[in-house]
Amino acid sequence: MNVQGPHYFTVDILGLEVKISETIVVGWIIIAFITALILFLTHNMQKIPSKRQSIAELIVTTVNKLVLDTMGKRNMAFAPYMATLFMFSLFGSLVGLVGLRPMTADYNTTLTWALLTFFMVQACNIKANGIGGYLKGFTEPVVFMTPLNIVSLFVSPISLSFRHFGNIAGGMVITMLVYFALTGLSTALGLSVPLATIGIPAVLSVYFDLFSAVMQAFIFVMLSMVYIGSANESEEE
Amino acid sequence: MNLIDLSGNFISTVKILDFLSIDASSIIFTLINTLILFLVIKYLLFERVNKVLEERSNDISTTYSKADEAMNNAKKLEADYNLLLSNAKEESAEIIKNATKKAQIHSDEIIAQAKTEANNIVLRANEEIERERKRTKSEIKDEISEIAIIVAEKVIGKELSKTDHELLIDKFIENVGELK
Repeated sequence: MNVQGPHYFTVDILGLEVKISETIVVGWIIIAFITALILFLTHNMQKIPSKRQSIAELIVTTVNKLVLDTMGKRNMAFAPYMATLFMFSLFGSLVGLVGLRPMTADYNTTLTWALLTFFMVQACNIKANGIGGYLKGFTEPVVFMTPLNIVSLFVSPISLSFRHFGNIAGGMVITMLVYFALTGLSTALGLSVPLATIGIPAVLSVYFDLFSAVMQAFIFVMLSMVYIGSANESEEE
Repeated sequence: MNLIDLSGNFISTVKILDFLSIDASSIIFTLINTLILFLVIKYLLFERVNKVLEERSNDISTTYSKADEAMNNAKKLEADYNLLLSNAKEESAEIIKNATKKAQIHSDEIIAQAKTEANNIVLRANEEIERERKRTKSEIKDEISEIAIIVAEKVIGKELSKTDHELLIDKFIENVGELK
């Protein structure tokens, strides 16, 4: 049994060899699942909502409210994006429960999302201050702060992506290690069946797969909202 | 890095670099996947649900404004009716007052009429009585004088002349009066 990065396989598309990782395939499965879920929840919507519709409305209003509170009315257009990040991240981590490799345990995934947030922040800054004002912002409050400002510019996407990746991947590794250790313990106790592996990994799984998945998805989205929101702050607010 | 258990058996390999490898195709595909999911969530979930929510909130606000309007109308009608009612009350009070006044006047008139009529009746009756008394008096007088003549004729035994009559009568009456 190996704890390792995602598998890669190559697909031949129109004579072009494309390398596709396990993560991407899991991502497709999640997209299909979420799409099906949305279609199921929003099927035949009425003015007086059914239970299914209420769930869809609850999701939308919760995200809308969160975006409104964190980013202000001006940034309401970001709500679907934030919902996308949250759902992709949440389900990307939760697939570990059904035995698939968590999407978010692949650094490329969290890095992509962190870079998306990063570029959005920069774009908002440039839009708000103009290129000149944006570049000038690095020399503030004093000129010798410029290197530090540039470092901190690149630190935020790295910390954002590593936090999420590290939590999920670390959880995966720890669960695996504990599982091995318990198997070893069972063998050392002379049990033919690894009885020690019953129970403890389940508790760990609740923490790492459920709690950590929800927490990290929430933290990632919250931080993205705060970064973009503060970069795209409106004058009147 | 290899994981070795207590008895020295090789159990697992952790490929650290595998874990942290940055792969361009993965990034591009993740980007595409995220974009696809974004479009799905934006158009299938948010736009549709937001539309329904907006329609509902519009519905509710129109319902509320309609209810407010109806309430205002009802209040206005109530005020109108109250005004009409108080007017009617005033009018009826006026009518009753007038009627009472008229009746009072009428009754006063009737009473006054009755009084004058009664006075007239009393007056007439008094007059009648007076007349009757006078008539009776003269009748009695006549009768007395006739009786006196008859008596005198009987006493004297002869017919009396008119002057004698009168003398006799006067004497008689005087005597009668004295006797009385």
